[in-house]
Amino acid sequence: MTHRWGMAVDLDRCTGCEACVTACRTENNVRIAGPEESAKGRSIAWIRVERYYEGDFPDVRVKFRPVMCQQCDAAPCEPVCPTYASHHSEEGLNAQIYNRCIGTRYCANACPYNVRFFNFGNPVWDRPLDLPLNPDVSVREVGVVEKCTFCTQRISAGKDQAKAEGRELRDGEIKPACVQSCPTSALVFGDLNDPESAVSMLSRSSRGTKLMDDLGTQPKVTYLKKEY
Amino acid sequence: MNRRSFIKFSALTGTSATLASCGNPEYHLIRFIPEDRLVAGIAVWKPSICPLCSAGCGLTVRVMEGDAEVIRDGKLGVTKMGLAKKLEGDPQNPINQGKLCTRGQAAMEVTYHPDRLGHPLKRAGSRGDGKFEEITWDQAMAELTGKLDALAAAGNQKSLAILTRPQRGARGAVLAEFANRFGAAAPLAFEFFGNDVIRRANEMSFGKAQLPTLDLAESQFVISFGADFLGTWNSPVAQNVGYGQMRQGRPGMRGKFVQVEYRMSQSGANADEWVPVKPGTEGVLALGIANAIMKQGTRKASDAGHAGTLVDGWMTGLADHTPQEVEKKTGVTAARIERLAKEFSGQKPAVAIIAGAAVAQTNGLFNALAVNALNALVGSVETAGGIYFTPQPANLGTGTNFAKNGEIGAGAQVLFVDGANPVFASPKAWKVKEAISAVPYIVSFGNFIDETSVMADLILPDHSFLESWVQSAPESGAKTAVSMMAPPVMRPLHDTRATGDVLLEVSKKLAKPLNMPWQKFEDAVKEQPGGNAGRSPLPKPAPAQAAKYAEPQFDGDAGQYGFHFLPYPSIAFLDGSLAHLPLLQELPDPMSSAIWSSWVEINMQTADKMGIRQGDLVEITSSQGSIRVPAFPSPGIAPDVIAMPVGQGHENYTRYASGRGANPIEILAPVKEPETGSLAWAATRVKIAKAADADGRLVLFAGSLRDYPPEGMHR
Repeated sequence: MTHRWGMAVDLDRCTGCEACVTACRTENNVRIAGPEESAKGRSIAWIRVERYYEGDFPDVRVKFRPVMCQQCDAAPCEPVCPTYASHHSEEGLNAQIYNRCIGTRYCANACPYNVRFFNFGNPVWDRPLDLPLNPDVSVREVGVVEKCTFCTQRISAGKDQAKAEGRELRDGEIKPACVQSCPTSALVFGDLNDPESAVSMLSRSSRGTKLMDDLGTQPKVTYLKKEY
Repeated sequence: MNRRSFIKFSALTGTSATLASCGNPEYHLIRFIPEDRLVAGIAVWKPSICPLCSAGCGLTVRVMEGDAEVIRDGKLGVTKMGLAKKLEGDPQNPINQGKLCTRGQAAMEVTYHPDRLGHPLKRAGSRGDGKFEEITWDQAMAELTGKLDALAAAGNQKSLAILTRPQRGARGAVLAEFANRFGAAAPLAFEFFGNDVIRRANEMSFGKAQLPTLDLAESQFVISFGADFLGTWNSPVAQNVGYGQMRQGRPGMRGKFVQVEYRMSQSGANADEWVPVKPGTEGVLALGIANAIMKQGTRKASDAGHAGTLVDGWMTGLADHTPQEVEKKTGVTAARIERLAKEFSGQKPAVAIIAGAAVAQTNGLFNALAVNALNALVGSVETAGGIYFTPQPANLGTGTNFAKNGEIGAGAQVLFVDGANPVFASPKAWKVKEAISAVPYIVSFGNFIDETSVMADLILPDHSFLESWVQSAPESGAKTAVSMMAPPVMRPLHDTRATGDVLLEVSKKLAKPLNMPWQKFEDAVKEQPGGNAGRSPLPKPAPAQAAKYAEPQFDGDAGQYGFHFLPYPSIAFLDGSLAHLPLLQELPDPMSSAIWSSWVEINMQTADKMGIRQGDLVEITSSQGSIRVPAFPSPGIAPDVIAMPVGQGHENYTRYASGRGANPIEILAPVKEPETGSLAWAATRVKIAKAADADGRLVLFAGSLRDYPPEGMHR
C-alpha cells in the first residue's frame, strides 16, 4: 500500500515556542539570511509560527499557528512550473527538484500559503558553521525555490529501516524534525492512508479545519482549533 | 562473510578508492587517526546534556563522519572525525521526554561558532581593548600557577574570587572544591534573571529553597502570576510537555489556564483568560482570591498550614484583602476575583505559579509568599497536579550560591570568570565594570570574548559541551531526582581544554599542591551525586514573622517618568548569553516576529496618542540613562507600561551580536528586593520620546500585526 503523508496540528496544544522552527532549520540546512537580507524579506523558514492578535487591551487574545507546506492534493504550485521541478510525488508530497528549478518563482506566486522561498543568493555559512550541515539534505543555491518536504530524508530512512527489518512501518515511527522536537506534541505526522493512524484520527476530529480550504487546494495538513 | 557484510565491505573499499583518486589533495592526508567506529554516511547517536540553561535537558546527538579543520599539537590539519550534526531530545530523559526547545536545538552552534576561542590567549594591549596574543598551554598554565603561587606566598589566598554561572554538577563541584582547598571564598554564580526570591519564599513556606516542579499534566486549573513557564522560566521543555497533556492529552478533560501579568508573554498568549494587573500587585490579587475562597466556605484559613501563617492577616480571613479592596489596588474587578476564586477552589487539582516580573519588585517576596499560601490553601503542594520539589543530591557545587550586586569582583587580586557576563547583564549603577577593572589579574574560561572576558589577562578556553564530559542534576522538571552524565560526543575542534581538567592540573602544579580528590575531570563527573534520591516529606520550615503587604516601590517619580519599564527574558537569548548564535538571531520572536533586532513594546493606543508608529525610533530614559530602540506597538501591554526583550545591545560578543540593538539592563535602577537583596528588575520607571521616524532597523519576519500588506515589505 502506498503512503499518503499528512500532518495534524493541534492549535490547543501549540504554545508558539518555535522549537519546530529551529529544529527544521538545523535538520534541513535552511540558510541564515543575515540581518541585511532579512530586512529585505529574504529570511527563509520552511515552518513558521504565525500569530493573530484579537481585541484590544485589556481583552486581548493571541492565536499561534505553525504553518509549513500544506502538501496540497490539488496544489496550485505544481501546474505552473514550466520545468516540472514542482511535482506531485507518489506519496502525495508536493516535491521540489532543485536541479530542475530555473527560478521562475511561478510556484511561489501561486502558493496561497506563502511557504515557498526563493534563494536570492548563494547560502553562506561562516566556517566552521558548515560542519553540522546535514549530509542527507542538499544545500540550495542561488535561483532555486525551496520548501518544506515533510523531511523526505527521514521518510526514506524510516522506510529503509522497516524494509531492512522485514516489517511494515509503524505509525509514529517516522517523525519530521518539527514533529520530533515539538514539546507539547502539537504536531502529529503519519500516513493518511492508514485509517487507524494517529494523524488520520486527528484529521477526522470535529475540531479539524484546513487552511484556506475554500480555495480547493485540498491540503493534507489539518488544524485542530483552539478551544476556549 | 554473508551477503550483507560483503556489500558493506565493498561499499567501504569503494569509497576509499574514490576518495584517494580525486578531490582536494589536502584531504589525502589523514594526519590524525580517524575514529574507526564511524562509517561514512551512517549516523550514530550519542548522549549529552544541553548546557544553555539550568533546566538540564538530556540530548541525543546525531554524529556522522566529516572532514574538519582541527588543531592538534598546535598544528592545523584536516581530519576525518565524528561531527555532531544535530541535537535532539533524549526520549529516556524524565525532564524533556524526547523534546527540545528552540534554544537547545541551536546549542549546536556553540561548538561550531566561527568566533569561538581556539587557543589560550594572553592580553597584548591595554585592558579591555580586545587585543590578545596566542600562547601555548604550557605558557598559560605556568602563568596561572605563578599568579596563584604569588597569592599563596603572600598568605593572601582569600583574594582569589571565582565568578561563574549557575551550574549543577561536577563542573561546579570542581570549582567549589578548588576554591575551598586553595582557601578562597566559595564561587559565586551570577544570573540576571535569578530565582533567589522564589527559592527564599519556598524555603519559608515549604522548607525547600528550590524552584518547584510543576505537574501541569495532571492540573485542571492553572493560574500563573507573571511566570513565563512556556517560554523561558524554570524548565520550559518539561512544562510544555505537561501543558500539552493538560490541554488535550486527557479525553474529555481540558485544563483551564489563566495568566496574570501586565505585558503579554508568550505563555500569557496561550491563556484562556489574560488578566492584566498593576505592576507589583500580583500578591494582593492572590490574597483577594484567597479571601474569596475562604468566604465562599470551601476552604478555611488553617488549610494552608504553615504557608498561611506567613501572610499577615491570613488566619483571620484576610479581612484587609476583600475582593473590593483588592480591586482598588490591582485593577481587577471584584466580580472577576470572586469568579476566579470559585474556579480555583472548585477545580481540582488547581495550581498557582509565580515568577517573572511578579517577583522582581520591591515586594517580590511578599507576592511569592502570597501565591505559596494560595497553593497551600487548596492543597496543591506535593500532590498530583500541583507543585513538587524534586529531591536534591547533596554535592551540587555552585548551585545555590548566587552573586548579589557589589560582591562581584570587589577586593579580589585574582578573579576567575567562568562563562558569566555581569558587565553586560547588570545595571550600569552597580559599577561592575569598574569593580572588575580594578582586579589586578583576571582569568577567563569562556569560549567567547564577551563584555566581561574581554577584560581578562589570560583566557583559557573551555571545550564545548559536546567535546567534554558533562554532568547535571537539575533542580526541577521531574518529580523524581534526576542525575545524568555523558562522555564527550566528539573530539575537540580547537586547542581547548576542559576547565575542570585545567583546574585539577593547576592544583597539582602549585608550589603547595591542593590534593584535590580527583585526578581528571572525568573522575569528578563519574562520581555520582550523593544524597537521598527518594521522596521524603517536606522538612518543617523555620517559624517566621508574617509578611505584610507593602506597596511596590519604583525608581523614578511617577510624574516625570510616566511608564513602568519591563525588561523580559527573550525567548531566543534569555539574559543575552545566547545572542551570539545566528540561528537564534534569525528566530522570529513569537509575539512580534522580530529578527536580528531590538524593540520596545508599547500599547497601541498609547503609541497612537504619541504619534509613534511601528519601527519609529524611541528614546527611553530612566534616572540611570537612556537608550534608543525601535517601537513595536502591541495590544498586549498595559497603557502605562513599556517592555523590552533582554539580549541585544552587546558591545563585544562575536560578529553576530556586536553592535546590534540596545541593552535594557543598562538603564535599570539598582532597586532591590530587601529580604533577598536581589535586583528588582521590574521596578524602574522611564519616560519615552519619539526620536525619529522609522529608522529603527526593526526587522520583522511577518510584517506588522494588523495592516496587510506591511509597509515596505515584499514577500
